Amino acid sequence: MSCEQYDWKAYALGELTLEERREAEAHAPGCESCREELAHVRLTVDTLSALREEEPPRRIAFVSDKVFEPRWWQAFLRPSFAAALVIAAAILMHGYLTRTSEADVQARVNDAVYKAVADVEQRNVTARNADYERVSRLYADATGVVRQ
Amino acid sequence: MIFREVEDRDLVAKARKGDVEAYNLLVSRWEKRVFNYLLRLVSNREDALDLSQEAFLKAYQSLPKLDDPGRFGAWLFRIAHNEAFSMLRRRKPEGELPPEKGGVSRELLPIELSLAVETALGRLSDEQREAVLLKVYQGFKFDEMAEILGCPVSTVKSRLYTALDLLKTTLAPTILRGEA
Repeated sequence: MSCEQYDWKAYALGELTLEERREAEAHAPGCESCREELAHVRLTVDTLSALREEEPPRRIAFVSDKVFEPRWWQAFLRPSFAAALVIAAAILMHGYLTRTSEADVQARVNDAVYKAVADVEQRNVTARNADYERVSRLYADATGVVRQ
Repeated sequence: MIFREVEDRDLVAKARKGDVEAYNLLVSRWEKRVFNYLLRLVSNREDALDLSQEAFLKAYQSLPKLDDPGRFGAWLFRIAHNEAFSMLRRRKPEGELPPEKGGVSRELLPIELSLAVETALGRLSDEQREAVLLKVYQGFKFDEMAEILGCPVSTVKSRLYTALDLLKTTLAPTILRGEA
């Protein structure tokens, strides 16, 4: 195996399989350039670890914190509130429509009653006129006088 | 590590069922790592804090979309990565050379070696620096890094190895002084 096949960066970073590690470790003692390369990688990585980790200046806000609670107007945007609003609107609309149709029915009933009363009166008038004509004919036949 | 993974998975499961305290615990557990990763990427503490906040909030909102709750960490870093690069793209035009020095506040990094590392990291491209941050400082495996960065493992290795070579050259004088 040539030196190029040994990935010393992956070795130093813990990315080799156990078998690959063993092969590399078996090769290194007899190869100065590979040992030197590994030493450089390790030194670089060790130096990088000198960088200090910093504490966040403030803790990250939790989702349960007040800052994430919705403002009063945002309640209107909630699905549950919107659904309640739709249901309320439907109830109101139903009430309005129902009231309107009752009024319509009442008006139609009134019209029908007026029409029925008018029909009856018309029939009565017609019948009275017919009776009057019949009586007038009989009177004319009996007396020879025609009533106007 | 395995115990920790199980715990994360358990907390994610609870948070998905509406247990906000479980998610708060995940935030407490990961906030320092996410903040430091973002701090080294964007080189500004307030920006890093804002991005961290945004990443945790987006992660909470997207919890139902997390396929494997055991990989919460890599998934969270993927979100943080997207947030950071979205900001970096807004900050500078395409193709602009990386800054000569990092912008992290120096008064908090008094040790000479730490300053040298900070400066050396600042000379890398954003992608190279991110590869070093995820591997050396956060300890992610190559496959996890590929998941976070949304690129093949070969690309991850290429960025990381190039970065390590550049850092070796940049840090050589400091290392030699330290050894002298």
